[in-house]
Amino acid sequence: MSAARLGGLRAPGVLIVAVALVLGAPGLGSAQPGDAKAGKPLYDLKCSGCHGEKGDGKGPAAELLVPQPRDFTSGIYKIRTTANKAPTDQDLFRIITDGMPGTSMPSWAVLPDKERWNLVAYIKSFAADKFKEASKKAELPKEVSSSAESIKRGKEMFEAIECHKCHGTEGRADGPSRSELKDEWGHPIAPANLTKRWTFRGGASRTEIATRLTNGVLGTPMPAFIDSVEKPEDIWHLTNFILSLGPDSPHYATLVTVTAVSDAIPDDPNADFWKKLSPNNIPLMGQVIIDPRNFNPSIDLVSVRAVYNDKEIAFHLTWDDPTQSAEDVGKKLYADAISLQFPPQPSSGSERPYFLMGDDSDAVYLLRWQNGKGVAEATGNGPAKIAPIQGAEAAGKAVYVNGQYRLVMKRPLVSKSETRPTFTPAAFMPVAFQAWDGGAGETGTRMSLTSWYYLRLEEPQSGRRFIIPPVVAILTLAVMLLVVRVANRRA
Amino acid sequence: MRKVIGVLLAIALVTGVALVANRPGPAGAQGGGTIEATVTYAGAAVVEKLKVNKDTEKCGTEASIEKVVVGGNKGLANAVVSVPSAKGGAPKAVKTTVDQHGCKFVPHVVAMTPGELDLKNSDDILHNIHTYSTANPSINKAQPKFKKVMTEKFEKPEIIKLTCDVHSWMLGWVAVMPNGFFGVTGGDGTTKIENVPPGKYTVEAWHETLGKQTKDVEVKAGQATKVAFEMKK
Repeated sequence: MSAARLGGLRAPGVLIVAVALVLGAPGLGSAQPGDAKAGKPLYDLKCSGCHGEKGDGKGPAAELLVPQPRDFTSGIYKIRTTANKAPTDQDLFRIITDGMPGTSMPSWAVLPDKERWNLVAYIKSFAADKFKEASKKAELPKEVSSSAESIKRGKEMFEAIECHKCHGTEGRADGPSRSELKDEWGHPIAPANLTKRWTFRGGASRTEIATRLTNGVLGTPMPAFIDSVEKPEDIWHLTNFILSLGPDSPHYATLVTVTAVSDAIPDDPNADFWKKLSPNNIPLMGQVIIDPRNFNPSIDLVSVRAVYNDKEIAFHLTWDDPTQSAEDVGKKLYADAISLQFPPQPSSGSERPYFLMGDDSDAVYLLRWQNGKGVAEATGNGPAKIAPIQGAEAAGKAVYVNGQYRLVMKRPLVSKSETRPTFTPAAFMPVAFQAWDGGAGETGTRMSLTSWYYLRLEEPQSGRRFIIPPVVAILTLAVMLLVVRVANRRA
Repeated sequence: MRKVIGVLLAIALVTGVALVANRPGPAGAQGGGTIEATVTYAGAAVVEKLKVNKDTEKCGTEASIEKVVVGGNKGLANAVVSVPSAKGGAPKAVKTTVDQHGCKFVPHVVAMTPGELDLKNSDDILHNIHTYSTANPSINKAQPKFKKVMTEKFEKPEIIKLTCDVHSWMLGWVAVMPNGFFGVTGGDGTTKIENVPPGKYTVEAWHETLGKQTKDVEVKAGQATKVAFEMKK
């Protein structure tokens, strides 16, 4: 009776002490035990907008996010270095500190260490029973360093264990199971694009990739592979192969350089000609100014290779799109599309038309390609006012291979029409990009885009560079000889 | 000499029989009763169809997700009938197996006592074993074509959903039961639970989409007790 009364009276205090004891117990790799109570106000301020006051992942902003914010009450975490379900404190601390690339989770490195540890303690309290079991560090097989041989073995294993079912033959997230994938909560979830490892949720280091392969990504379709490869070290061969699929970073361009060539420009997007040119990588964002908005754009990068000769200018564009789709009104399917935007006439000042496809007072010139329709030119006075330009001068060809479009669009360098720009060597020309993944429901204002960039045509490499330097050299030599002679005479 | 061999053989035989007879079979083996359960459903069968875009050689071109299977006399298949409160009854000695065959879990519902489950992959393509459970650790392991059998442990009684993310239509259930007194209804909606120790019990019937029902029965030694469940939406 007295115990019950005591319990009744003291329950909150006892509970807090008990929770603090449980949470404060140093987990694996825990540098500092956090204080859940101190973490709460910070959580309410910084985290609840997405993750919800109750930690259930249903904050006011949640419905706009893909992937959805973590539901902490489930105790299921994608990124963990453990062999069992619960991540270590260090795992949670790492994600809070670094954020999750390719998602809306930002880095919270701005907060002091102590506050981040307090957040770790507080988010664990939403599923305290899931953290009762001690974390068991996942053992990675003995590391195998990268080599041509290891990458070859990794490719063999990649094919044998059928990674392509989700991640696609060349790793561009275009596998046949892609559209069927759901997470633990029934939300559609996309496989990782293995050629863009800067978007890997849990980081792109060798150890991080090997860890994901070893114990999977919890709450997602990505299974653990440690018991499912032929030999444990295959995990490292796979890691080395995945690292060979793409660059470590997108190396974004700030200026699109158009290379001058003297030969004919090939129409075939797969021609070796294009492979020799280095790409100008441009990041794309979702269009969120005009309704309907695109908060979760599918296309996040376009690689531009551009050349010109004395007659024409050509743009070679490469971008990943996991689904090749043409317009089908009956099935509510939209066509994949991309467009380049320029001012119709170069202006002498810094004035440019409104970047979002122009407006009523200032039009833009659009060089567009649409799957099923090909290349076309248009005048834009805003996304809803796009008028085709009569008497098309542009042409092009596209190919779609393993989740990637490669497109060549060509146009005469000079135009006499007022609606089309003329490209002038050495001048800076504003350029912007828009892209649509029709398979992801993108059409109209639901697009990815850029703001204005600049494009510059390299000055033509005339024959003068072979004449002037030797002439200068000879003249210099002559002057030197003269000086020497005069000096000798005086002596 | 022959006599000696004969005697030895006889002894061996008797010992063998005795061993078999003494196996820790259900406690009520010598005086238990049988529960003859019938599960019916008056509604229509529910089969979802899906067009297959991969592995059509193994999976066919159309996948069907059989959510409610109704046979003759409204018999409901794939229902688990169990007597959770019955005492005794050792775990069934036979190892339980689920096969991934034709991009389906065969059988669709498997019932077992806590222990190991063999998951076979006879399709020669990648599957992944993805379980949804709370009492047991959830599993998500790849089972590539060269991994013919994977053995997983389910130690706590629970009904566990089994899926494959590669083939999203694949759906199976593993019913881990607290004791050996259970059965899964066949196409006719019936199943038998044998050697139940005499006594009063609550019998449970569970179906993946139609839920759970209970009925009270009294089992008498050497007799069959009939119990009928009529599942509703």
